[in-house]
Amino acid sequence: MSRPIETSRPRLAPGCRIGDLPGQTAVLLIPEGALQLNQPGVRIVSACDGAHSFREIVQMLQQEYRAADPDRIERETADLLERLHLRRAVDF
Amino acid sequence: MTGPRSIIAEITHRCPLHCVYCSNPLVLRSGGDELSTQAWTDVFQQSADMEVLQLDLTGGEPLARPDLVELVRAARQAGLYVNLITSGVGLSAEKLERLVLARLDHVQLSLQDSQAGSADEIAGATVHARKLEIAREIQRHRVAFTLNIVVHRHNLQRIPQMIALAEDLGAHKLEIAHVQYYGWAFRNREHLMPTRTQLESSLELIRAAQTRLAGRMRIDYVVPDYYAKFPKACMGGWGRKTLLIDPTGEVLPCHAATVIAGMRFENVRHRKLRWIWEESDSFQRFRGEAWMPEPCRSCDRRTRDFGGCRCQAFLLTGDSSVTDPVCSLAPAHDRVDDIVQRANAGDGTGSAEAGPPSPAAWEYRRNPR
Repeated sequence: MSRPIETSRPRLAPGCRIGDLPGQTAVLLIPEGALQLNQPGVRIVSACDGAHSFREIVQMLQQEYRAADPDRIERETADLLERLHLRRAVDF
Repeated sequence: MTGPRSIIAEITHRCPLHCVYCSNPLVLRSGGDELSTQAWTDVFQQSADMEVLQLDLTGGEPLARPDLVELVRAARQAGLYVNLITSGVGLSAEKLERLVLARLDHVQLSLQDSQAGSADEIAGATVHARKLEIAREIQRHRVAFTLNIVVHRHNLQRIPQMIALAEDLGAHKLEIAHVQYYGWAFRNREHLMPTRTQLESSLELIRAAQTRLAGRMRIDYVVPDYYAKFPKACMGGWGRKTLLIDPTGEVLPCHAATVIAGMRFENVRHRKLRWIWEESDSFQRFRGEAWMPEPCRSCDRRTRDFGGCRCQAFLLTGDSSVTDPVCSLAPAHDRVDDIVQRANAGDGTGSAEAGPPSPAAWEYRRNPR
């Protein structure tokens, strides 16, 4: 399964982290690579701590982005987590 | 101009292994000429100031430097993402723990094969069993863990065993890379070249494993240049993405660039890294398109492969400014065709000459003075 389900608890994989330097606060550093994230992407990745479920992460974003379509938020959150999972940057 | 995205620091050329395909240059730097801890620390800070993201600490064997933990700590403090590329030889459980505490991000451990006998023959040292022990230690830490295995004519048939071993060792990523023919590998090329049949069956096995292991273990497969239709964008293009600093502080656009006759490289002991990247003759030499010969100059692919590899052009033709001969459109492509044809003589299984050559047939990598 590469796509998260409601109860998945995504966690950043070892060696995957948001950059330290001022210009890197939206960059996810992974082994031999780097992924540029948008602001919701940073929020999602920051919540990948193994404690929050996929459902909780989606709810958090839906509250923060009230103007956006809730289904679209759920779909795009799942898309991002799936992509990161396939790169072995997020485990669940 | 845009700075490099990553820096490869060859912190030493000393190594307990003698791999027959080592990518280090034939002329190795001696331990006495290596940059100091302080000089490397300064290089890491200069790199971070240029917004470099990734640092590869490699060698030789980086563990041959007694200050490796300090170097990792200094690079992390500067803000770099730190990859350690190691044979694992010299890595005790205690040393590993200190490296992880210094906030090492990623360990890439090399294996030469899935089985000890042939692995140790390629390495010219009895090291395979020890590497497996250290892999089990790495698995216990929260650090990214990649296994690197170089493949060639005499171990390509063991790709299934290599994948099974990587799963068993808990690697997050397995990188299976074909030998590329530079440095010591160029010397041993006749013995290392796979056949086309071998290559094709390996591609099928890799694809199946990639699907089966999606999300659990990533598998990267690097195919050999000599069988490609078009050249690779070597290092993402000369002086475009990456630079390499050798043990003495000499700054190169790639691992092999010192082979190119007539090129002079700058040193971080005398110049700032930013100046070398932006201004030096060596980094300007093959940047952009002005240097390109035909057919590259009018080719649609020139912005994707940048004419291929300059070192390969030099090694195969004696001229670093011609189209990479691995390109099917290159005027010198017949040289690669000849080599490929020789490798495919016989039944195509690679076993026509009754197994691997005897150790006496290899030219092993020597150690620096």
